[in-house]
Amino acid sequence: MADSDNDSGGAHNSGKGGKVLPRELDRFLPIANVSRIMKKALLANAKILKYAKETVQECVSEFISFIIDEASDKCQREKRKVINGDDLLWAMTTLGFEDYVEPLKGYL
Amino acid sequence: MLLLLLQFLQLSFILPMAMQTVYLKKHEGNAHNFVGTLSSAASAPWWSAFGSQSVHQGESCGQMKPFALELPNCIDQLAATKLSARGAEQVLGEGHTTQFTIFPDGCKMSDDAQKLQTTISLQSSLTDPHSRFEIGFSQPMLCAKYPYTDQFYGLFSAYAPQISGRIMLPLNMSSDDGPIYVNAKQYHGIIRRRQSRAKAVLDHKLTKRCKPYMHESRHLHAMRRPRGSGGRFLNTRSSINGNGKLGNEVHKTVGEQLQSSDSQSSEFLQSEVGTLNSSKETNGSSPNISGSEVTSMYSRGGLDSFSLNHLGSAVHSFANMIDGGRGMIIPPKWVAAAGNCYNLKV
Repeated sequence: MADSDNDSGGAHNSGKGGKVLPRELDRFLPIANVSRIMKKALLANAKILKYAKETVQECVSEFISFIIDEASDKCQREKRKVINGDDLLWAMTTLGFEDYVEPLKGYL
Repeated sequence: MLLLLLQFLQLSFILPMAMQTVYLKKHEGNAHNFVGTLSSAASAPWWSAFGSQSVHQGESCGQMKPFALELPNCIDQLAATKLSARGAEQVLGEGHTTQFTIFPDGCKMSDDAQKLQTTISLQSSLTDPHSRFEIGFSQPMLCAKYPYTDQFYGLFSAYAPQISGRIMLPLNMSSDDGPIYVNAKQYHGIIRRRQSRAKAVLDHKLTKRCKPYMHESRHLHAMRRPRGSGGRFLNTRSSINGNGKLGNEVHKTVGEQLQSSDSQSSEFLQSEVGTLNSSKETNGSSPNISGSEVTSMYSRGGLDSFSLNHLGSAVHSFANMIDGGRGMIIPPKWVAAAGNCYNLKV
Protein backbone atom coordinates (compact mmCIF):
# COMPACT_ATOMS: atom_id res chain seq x y z
CA MET A 1 0.00 0.00 0.00
CA ALA A 2 2.80 2.44 0.88
CA ASP A 3 4.59 1.68 -2.38
CA SER A 4 1.42 2.26 -4.41
CA ASP A 5 0.86 5.54 -2.58
CA ASN A 6 4.35 6.65 -3.48
CA ASP A 7 3.90 5.63 -7.10
CA SER A 8 0.58 7.42 -7.46
CA GLY A 9 2.08 10.46 -5.78
CA GLY A 10 4.95 10.41 -8.24
CA ALA A 11 2.63 10.07 -11.23
CA HIS A 12 0.49 12.87 -9.84
CA ASN A 13 3.53 15.13 -9.55
CA SER A 14 4.67 14.35 -13.09
CA GLY A 15 1.19 15.13 -14.36
CA LYS A 16 0.93 18.48 -12.62
CA GLY A 17 4.57 19.46 -12.88
CA GLY A 18 4.70 22.23 -10.29
CA LYS A 19 3.35 20.68 -7.12
CA VAL A 20 5.67 19.50 -4.38
CA LEU A 21 4.99 16.58 -2.07
CA PRO A 22 5.04 17.19 1.68
CA ARG A 23 8.58 17.05 3.00
CA GLU A 24 7.63 14.31 5.45
CA LEU A 25 7.71 11.74 2.65
CA ASP A 26 10.97 13.07 1.27
CA ARG A 27 12.82 12.93 4.58
CA PHE A 28 12.38 9.25 5.51
CA LEU A 29 12.43 5.87 3.86
CA PRO A 30 9.13 3.97 3.84
CA ILE A 31 8.89 2.29 7.22
CA ALA A 32 7.52 -0.96 5.76
CA ASN A 33 10.73 -1.50 3.81
CA VAL A 34 12.84 -0.68 6.87
CA SER A 35 10.79 -3.12 8.92
CA ARG A 36 11.19 -5.89 6.36
CA ILE A 37 14.98 -5.47 6.33
CA MET A 38 15.05 -5.58 10.12
CA LYS A 39 12.90 -8.72 10.17
CA LYS A 40 15.23 -10.43 7.72
CA ALA A 41 18.03 -10.39 10.29
CA LEU A 42 15.88 -11.89 13.07
CA LEU A 43 14.14 -15.20 13.73
CA ALA A 44 10.84 -15.97 12.05
CA ASN A 45 8.73 -15.50 15.18
CA ALA A 46 10.46 -12.30 16.35
CA LYS A 47 8.55 -9.05 16.83
CA ILE A 48 9.82 -5.46 16.66
CA LEU A 49 8.32 -2.59 18.61
CA LYS A 50 7.09 0.42 16.68
CA TYR A 51 9.46 2.94 18.19
CA ALA A 52 12.40 0.67 17.37
CA LYS A 53 11.36 0.68 13.72
CA GLU A 54 10.93 4.45 13.76
CA THR A 55 14.34 4.97 15.37
CA VAL A 56 16.09 2.78 12.80
CA GLN A 57 14.11 4.54 10.05
CA GLU A 58 15.44 7.91 11.21
CA CYS A 59 19.02 6.63 11.58
CA VAL A 60 19.07 5.01 8.15
CA SER A 61 17.53 8.05 6.46
CA GLU A 62 20.04 10.37 8.17
CA PHE A 63 22.97 8.17 7.11
CA ILE A 64 21.81 8.21 3.48
CA SER A 65 21.41 11.99 3.53
CA PHE A 66 24.87 12.32 5.13
CA ILE A 67 26.57 10.37 2.33
CA ILE A 68 24.56 11.97 -0.48
CA ASP A 69 25.27 15.50 0.79
CA GLU A 70 29.00 14.82 0.65
CA ALA A 71 28.78 13.29 -2.84
CA SER A 72 26.52 16.11 -4.06
CA ASP A 73 28.95 18.70 -2.70
CA LYS A 74 31.76 17.09 -4.71
CA CYS A 75 29.64 17.07 -7.89
CA GLN A 76 28.80 20.76 -7.42
CA ARG A 77 32.48 21.61 -7.04
CA GLU A 78 33.29 19.75 -10.26
CA LYS A 79 30.30 21.32 -12.12
CA ARG A 80 28.66 17.93 -12.74
CA LYS A 81 24.97 17.11 -12.43
CA VAL A 82 25.01 13.29 -12.20
CA ILE A 83 26.13 11.48 -9.03
CA ASN A 84 27.72 8.18 -10.02
CA GLY A 85 29.03 5.23 -8.04
CA ASP A 86 32.57 6.58 -7.80
CA ASP A 87 31.25 9.71 -6.11
CA LEU A 88 29.53 7.60 -3.45
CA LEU A 89 32.69 5.57 -2.85
CA TRP A 90 34.74 8.78 -2.61
CA ALA A 91 32.22 10.22 -0.14
CA MET A 92 32.44 7.08 2.00
CA THR A 93 36.24 7.35 2.03
CA THR A 94 36.18 11.06 2.84
CA LEU A 95 33.84 10.59 5.79
CA GLY A 96 35.86 7.75 7.29
CA PHE A 97 33.78 4.75 6.15
CA GLU A 98 36.62 3.00 4.32
CA ASP A 99 35.33 -0.44 5.33
CA TYR A 100 32.22 0.07 3.19
CA VAL A 101 34.14 0.68 -0.04
CA GLU A 102 35.28 -2.88 -0.73
CA PRO A 103 31.84 -4.56 -0.36
CA LEU A 104 30.11 -1.80 -2.32
CA LYS A 105 32.40 -2.06 -5.33
CA GLY A 106 30.40 -5.10 -6.37
CA TYR A 107 27.22 -2.99 -6.55
CA LEU A 108 28.38 0.41 -7.83
CA MET B 1 69.82 51.94 29.99
CA LEU B 2 67.29 50.35 32.37
CA LEU B 3 64.56 52.66 31.05
CA LEU B 4 65.33 51.45 27.53
CA LEU B 5 64.91 47.80 28.56
CA LEU B 6 61.60 48.56 30.27
CA GLN B 7 60.33 50.40 27.20
CA PHE B 8 61.16 47.44 24.94
CA LEU B 9 59.37 45.03 27.30
CA GLN B 10 56.33 47.29 27.47
CA LEU B 11 56.14 47.60 23.68
CA SER B 12 56.44 43.84 23.21
CA PHE B 13 53.52 43.26 25.59
CA ILE B 14 51.24 45.94 24.16
CA LEU B 15 51.74 45.36 20.44
CA PRO B 16 49.98 42.44 18.67
CA MET B 17 52.05 39.52 17.40
CA ALA B 18 52.18 40.73 13.78
CA MET B 19 53.19 44.27 14.69
CA GLN B 20 55.78 42.91 17.12
CA THR B 21 57.32 40.88 14.30
CA VAL B 22 57.40 43.95 12.05
CA TYR B 23 59.00 45.98 14.84
CA LEU B 24 61.71 43.37 15.42
CA LYS B 25 62.50 43.20 11.70
CA LYS B 26 62.74 46.99 11.52
CA HIS B 27 65.08 46.99 14.52
CA GLU B 28 67.29 44.36 12.86
CA GLY B 29 67.58 46.64 9.82
CA ASN B 30 68.74 49.42 12.11
CA ALA B 31 71.27 47.03 13.66
CA HIS B 32 72.81 46.44 10.22
CA ASN B 33 73.20 50.20 9.81
CA PHE B 34 74.90 50.40 13.19
CA VAL B 35 77.33 47.59 12.34
CA GLY B 36 78.25 49.23 9.02
CA THR B 37 79.15 52.52 10.66
CA LEU B 38 80.79 51.03 13.77
CA SER B 39 84.02 52.82 14.70
CA SER B 40 87.13 51.36 16.32
CA ALA B 41 86.58 53.41 19.47
CA ALA B 42 83.21 51.68 20.12
CA SER B 43 84.52 48.13 19.63
CA ALA B 44 84.53 47.46 23.40
CA PRO B 45 82.23 44.55 24.47
CA TRP B 46 78.68 45.50 25.51
CA TRP B 47 78.79 43.85 28.95
CA SER B 48 81.55 46.20 30.06
CA ALA B 49 79.08 49.05 29.57
CA PHE B 50 76.55 47.21 31.75
CA GLY B 51 79.27 46.67 34.38
CA SER B 52 79.83 50.40 34.64
CA GLN B 53 76.14 50.95 35.49
CA SER B 54 74.63 51.21 38.95
CA VAL B 55 73.89 48.31 41.32
CA HIS B 56 70.09 48.61 40.81
CA GLN B 57 70.34 47.97 37.08
CA GLY B 58 72.42 44.83 37.67
CA GLU B 59 69.83 43.55 40.12
CA SER B 60 67.01 44.01 37.61
CA CYS B 61 69.03 42.14 34.96
CA GLY B 62 69.40 39.24 37.38
CA GLN B 63 65.65 39.14 37.95
CA MET B 64 64.95 38.96 34.22
CA LYS B 65 67.02 35.82 33.56
CA PRO B 66 64.52 33.23 35.00
CA PHE B 67 61.77 34.57 32.70
CA ALA B 68 64.11 34.23 29.73
CA LEU B 69 64.61 30.57 30.59
CA GLU B 70 60.85 29.98 30.77
CA LEU B 71 59.64 31.69 27.60
CA PRO B 72 61.34 31.86 24.17
CA ASN B 73 59.91 35.32 23.51
CA CYS B 74 62.01 36.73 26.35
CA ILE B 75 65.14 35.38 24.63
CA ASP B 76 64.17 37.38 21.55
CA GLN B 77 63.69 40.43 23.74
CA LEU B 78 67.18 39.97 25.23
CA ALA B 79 68.62 39.75 21.70
CA ALA B 80 66.86 42.99 20.83
CA THR B 81 68.30 44.47 24.01
CA LYS B 82 71.80 43.46 22.88
CA LEU B 83 71.26 45.19 19.54
CA SER B 84 70.09 48.33 21.31
CA ALA B 85 73.17 48.15 23.57
CA ARG B 86 75.41 48.13 20.50
CA GLY B 87 73.54 51.18 19.22
CA ALA B 88 74.15 52.90 22.55
CA GLU B 89 77.87 52.19 22.32
CA GLN B 90 77.94 53.71 18.85
CA VAL B 91 76.24 56.85 20.11
CA LEU B 92 78.74 57.12 22.96
CA GLY B 93 81.62 56.65 20.52
CA GLU B 94 80.35 59.42 18.30
CA GLY B 95 80.07 61.76 21.28
CA HIS B 96 76.63 63.17 20.53
CA THR B 97 74.96 65.42 23.12
CA THR B 98 71.21 65.98 23.37
CA GLN B 99 68.88 68.06 25.53
CA PHE B 100 65.89 66.75 27.48
CA THR B 101 63.47 69.03 25.59
CA ILE B 102 63.38 66.43 22.73
CA PHE B 103 61.97 63.68 25.03
CA PRO B 104 58.25 64.14 23.91
CA ASP B 105 59.34 63.30 20.34
CA GLY B 106 60.53 59.87 21.53
CA CYS B 107 57.08 58.39 20.75
CA LYS B 108 57.93 58.34 17.04
CA MET B 109 59.45 55.19 15.56
CA SER B 110 61.82 56.78 13.06
CA ASP B 111 65.58 56.14 13.09
CA ASP B 112 66.50 59.60 14.35
CA ALA B 113 63.93 59.39 17.12
CA GLN B 114 65.29 56.00 18.18
CA LYS B 115 68.83 57.37 18.42
CA LEU B 116 67.65 60.39 20.42
CA GLN B 117 65.61 58.11 22.66
CA THR B 118 68.69 56.00 23.33
CA THR B 119 70.70 59.07 24.27
CA ILE B 120 67.97 60.36 26.58
CA SER B 121 67.76 57.03 28.39
CA LEU B 122 71.53 56.96 28.86
CA GLN B 123 71.58 60.43 30.39
CA SER B 124 68.61 59.72 32.64
CA SER B 125 70.25 56.61 34.08
CA LEU B 126 73.07 58.69 35.53
CA THR B 127 70.74 60.57 37.91
CA ASP B 128 69.57 59.10 41.24
CA PRO B 129 65.92 60.39 41.18
CA HIS B 130 65.42 58.85 37.73
CA SER B 131 66.77 55.50 38.89
CA ARG B 132 64.25 55.51 41.77
CA PHE B 133 61.45 56.14 39.25
CA GLU B 134 62.69 53.20 37.15
CA ILE B 135 62.73 50.85 40.13
CA GLY B 136 59.10 51.73 40.92
CA PHE B 137 58.19 51.30 37.25
CA SER B 138 59.64 47.78 37.07
CA GLN B 139 57.00 46.25 39.39
CA PRO B 140 54.04 46.51 36.90
CA MET B 141 56.26 44.94 34.26
CA LEU B 142 56.76 41.82 36.35
CA CYS B 143 53.04 41.61 37.18
CA ALA B 144 52.09 42.09 33.51
CA LYS B 145 53.99 38.97 32.46
CA TYR B 146 51.71 36.51 34.26
CA PRO B 147 48.49 37.15 32.18
CA TYR B 148 50.52 36.69 29.00
CA THR B 149 51.80 33.34 30.27
CA ASP B 150 48.25 32.24 31.16
CA GLN B 151 47.03 33.16 27.68
CA PHE B 152 49.88 31.17 26.15
CA TYR B 153 49.01 28.03 28.13
CA GLY B 154 45.32 28.53 27.32
CA LEU B 155 46.10 28.56 23.61
CA PHE B 156 48.11 25.37 23.98
CA SER B 157 45.25 23.53 25.74
CA ALA B 158 42.85 24.55 22.95
CA TYR B 159 44.92 22.56 20.45
CA ALA B 160 45.01 19.37 22.53
CA PRO B 161 41.76 17.72 21.23
CA GLN B 162 42.96 17.92 17.63
CA ILE B 163 45.92 15.69 18.42
CA SER B 164 43.58 12.79 19.25
CA GLY B 165 41.81 13.15 15.88
CA ARG B 166 38.52 14.45 17.31
CA ILE B 167 36.86 17.85 16.96
CA MET B 168 34.38 19.25 19.46
CA LEU B 169 30.95 20.01 18.01
CA PRO B 170 29.27 23.32 18.87
CA LEU B 171 26.67 22.82 21.59
CA ASN B 172 22.95 22.67 20.83
CA MET B 173 20.20 24.05 23.00
CA SER B 174 18.36 20.73 22.84
CA SER B 175 21.27 18.59 23.97
CA ASP B 176 21.78 18.61 27.75
CA ASP B 177 25.00 16.61 27.57
CA GLY B 178 28.46 18.11 27.58
CA PRO B 179 30.51 18.77 24.44
CA ILE B 180 30.40 15.95 21.87
CA TYR B 181 33.59 14.98 20.07
CA VAL B 182 33.21 13.58 16.55
CA ASN B 183 35.49 12.25 13.83
CA ALA B 184 37.47 15.08 12.28
CA LYS B 185 36.62 13.85 8.78
CA GLN B 186 32.89 14.08 9.45
CA TYR B 187 32.82 17.49 11.17
CA HIS B 188 31.96 19.59 8.12
CA GLY B 189 29.45 17.02 6.89
CA ILE B 190 27.63 17.07 10.23
CA ILE B 191 27.51 20.88 10.28
CA ARG B 192 26.14 20.91 6.73
CA ARG B 193 23.53 18.29 7.59
CA ARG B 194 22.39 20.31 10.61
CA GLN B 195 21.81 23.37 8.43
CA SER B 196 19.92 21.43 5.75
CA ARG B 197 17.84 19.68 8.41
CA ALA B 198 16.87 23.02 9.96
CA LYS B 199 15.93 24.29 6.51
CA ALA B 200 13.86 21.15 5.89
CA VAL B 201 12.01 21.67 9.17
CA LEU B 202 11.09 25.21 8.12
CA ASP B 203 9.97 24.03 4.67
CA HIS B 204 7.94 21.27 6.29
CA LYS B 205 6.12 23.78 8.49
CA LEU B 206 5.31 26.00 5.51
CA THR B 207 4.21 23.08 3.34
CA LYS B 208 2.08 21.52 6.06
CA ARG B 209 0.29 24.82 6.58
CA CYS B 210 -0.44 25.24 2.85
CA LYS B 211 -1.51 21.68 2.00
CA PRO B 212 -3.78 19.78 4.40
CA TYR B 213 -3.98 16.80 2.00
CA MET B 214 -1.45 14.61 0.22
CA HIS B 215 -2.97 13.97 -3.21
CA GLU B 216 -4.81 16.54 -5.29
CA SER B 217 -7.05 14.09 -7.15
CA ARG B 218 -8.24 12.37 -3.98
CA HIS B 219 -8.94 15.74 -2.42
CA LEU B 220 -11.10 16.80 -5.37
CA HIS B 221 -12.96 13.51 -5.32
CA ALA B 222 -13.70 13.84 -1.60
CA MET B 223 -14.95 17.39 -2.12
CA ARG B 224 -17.39 16.22 -4.78
CA ARG B 225 -18.97 13.50 -2.61
CA PRO B 226 -22.27 14.38 -0.85
CA ARG B 227 -22.14 14.70 2.94
CA GLY B 228 -24.68 14.30 5.72
CA SER B 229 -25.57 16.43 8.73
CA GLY B 230 -22.49 15.40 10.74
CA GLY B 231 -20.13 15.87 7.79
CA ARG B 232 -19.94 12.15 6.99
CA PHE B 233 -20.38 10.84 3.45
CA LEU B 234 -23.88 9.83 2.34
CA ASN B 235 -25.02 6.72 0.40
CA THR B 236 -21.99 4.60 1.26
CA ARG B 237 -23.74 1.33 0.32
CA SER B 238 -25.16 2.60 -2.95
CA SER B 239 -21.81 4.20 -3.86
CA ILE B 240 -20.07 0.83 -3.45
CA ASN B 241 -22.69 -0.88 -5.65
CA GLY B 242 -22.96 1.87 -8.25
CA ASN B 243 -19.40 3.13 -8.87
CA GLY B 244 -17.06 1.12 -11.07
CA LYS B 245 -14.04 2.92 -9.58
CA LEU B 246 -14.74 1.58 -6.11
CA GLY B 247 -15.05 -1.91 -7.61
CA ASN B 248 -11.60 -1.45 -9.14
CA GLU B 249 -10.21 -0.38 -5.78
CA VAL B 250 -11.65 -3.49 -4.12
CA HIS B 251 -10.16 -5.57 -6.91
CA LYS B 252 -6.71 -4.05 -6.41
CA THR B 253 -6.88 -4.53 -2.66
CA VAL B 254 -7.90 -8.18 -2.96
CA GLY B 255 -5.21 -8.81 -5.58
CA GLU B 256 -2.49 -7.36 -3.38
CA GLN B 257 -3.56 -9.38 -0.39
CA LEU B 258 -3.71 -12.58 -2.44
CA GLN B 259 -0.14 -11.97 -3.60
CA SER B 260 0.96 -11.32 -0.03
CA SER B 261 -0.81 -14.47 1.20
CA ASP B 262 1.16 -16.51 -1.32
CA SER B 263 4.43 -15.31 0.23
CA GLN B 264 5.51 -15.74 3.86
CA SER B 265 3.16 -14.78 6.67
CA SER B 266 5.77 -12.38 8.10
CA GLU B 267 5.75 -10.35 4.90
CA PHE B 268 1.97 -10.19 5.08
CA LEU B 269 2.28 -8.76 8.58
CA GLN B 270 4.78 -6.20 7.26
CA SER B 271 2.43 -5.10 4.49
CA GLU B 272 -0.37 -4.78 7.03
CA VAL B 273 1.86 -2.57 9.19
CA GLY B 274 2.65 -0.52 6.08
CA THR B 275 -1.06 -0.06 5.46
CA LEU B 276 -1.58 1.16 9.01
CA ASN B 277 1.34 3.60 8.74
CA SER B 278 0.20 4.99 5.41
CA SER B 279 -3.33 5.52 6.73
CA LYS B 280 -1.93 7.23 9.83
CA GLU B 281 0.20 9.52 7.69
CA THR B 282 -2.91 10.46 5.73
CA ASN B 283 -4.72 11.12 9.00
CA GLY B 284 -1.91 13.40 10.14
CA SER B 285 -1.80 15.41 6.94
CA SER B 286 -5.57 15.89 6.52
CA PRO B 287 -7.39 15.84 9.88
CA ASN B 288 -10.85 17.12 8.89
CA ILE B 289 -11.58 16.86 5.19
CA SER B 290 -10.63 13.26 4.40
CA GLY B 291 -11.03 11.76 7.87
CA SER B 292 -14.10 9.67 7.11
CA GLU B 293 -12.64 8.51 3.80
CA VAL B 294 -9.54 7.27 5.61
CA THR B 295 -11.72 5.54 8.20
CA SER B 296 -13.67 3.72 5.49
CA MET B 297 -10.47 2.65 3.71
CA TYR B 298 -9.00 1.38 6.96
CA SER B 299 -12.07 -0.61 7.94
CA ARG B 300 -12.33 -2.07 4.45
CA GLY B 301 -8.76 -3.34 4.66
CA GLY B 302 -9.45 -4.80 8.09
CA LEU B 303 -12.50 -6.67 6.85
CA ASP B 304 -10.59 -8.14 3.92
CA SER B 305 -7.84 -9.37 6.21
CA PHE B 306 -10.50 -10.87 8.49
CA SER B 307 -12.12 -12.76 5.64
CA LEU B 308 -8.76 -14.05 4.37
CA ASN B 309 -6.83 -14.90 7.53
CA HIS B 310 -9.65 -15.35 10.06
CA LEU B 311 -8.25 -12.59 12.27
CA GLY B 312 -10.55 -11.17 14.93
CA SER B 313 -11.51 -7.50 14.74
CA ALA B 314 -13.35 -5.69 17.50
CA VAL B 315 -16.29 -3.40 16.81
CA HIS B 316 -15.97 -0.17 18.78
CA SER B 317 -18.57 2.30 17.54
CA PHE B 318 -21.77 2.71 15.51
CA ALA B 319 -19.77 3.62 12.40
CA ASN B 320 -17.92 0.32 12.66
CA MET B 321 -21.29 -1.44 12.89
CA ILE B 322 -22.27 0.19 9.60
CA ASP B 323 -18.95 -0.97 8.15
CA GLY B 324 -19.75 -4.46 9.46
CA GLY B 325 -23.02 -4.28 7.58
CA ARG B 326 -21.06 -3.33 4.46
CA GLY B 327 -18.97 -6.47 4.97
CA MET B 328 -22.00 -8.62 4.19
CA ILE B 329 -22.20 -7.04 0.74
CA ILE B 330 -18.51 -7.48 -0.10
CA PRO B 331 -18.32 -11.34 -0.39
CA PRO B 332 -20.16 -11.60 -3.75
CA LYS B 333 -17.86 -8.98 -5.32
CA TRP B 334 -14.90 -10.58 -3.63
CA VAL B 335 -15.72 -13.90 -5.28
CA ALA B 336 -16.06 -12.15 -8.64
CA ALA B 337 -12.82 -10.26 -8.08
CA ALA B 338 -11.05 -13.50 -7.18
CA GLY B 339 -12.22 -14.98 -10.46
CA ASN B 340 -10.89 -11.96 -12.33
CA CYS B 341 -7.58 -12.29 -10.54
CA TYR B 342 -7.22 -15.90 -11.69
CA ASN B 343 -7.91 -14.84 -15.25
CA LEU B 344 -5.21 -12.17 -15.03
CA LYS B 345 -2.69 -14.69 -13.75
CA VAL B 346 -3.38 -17.01 -16.71
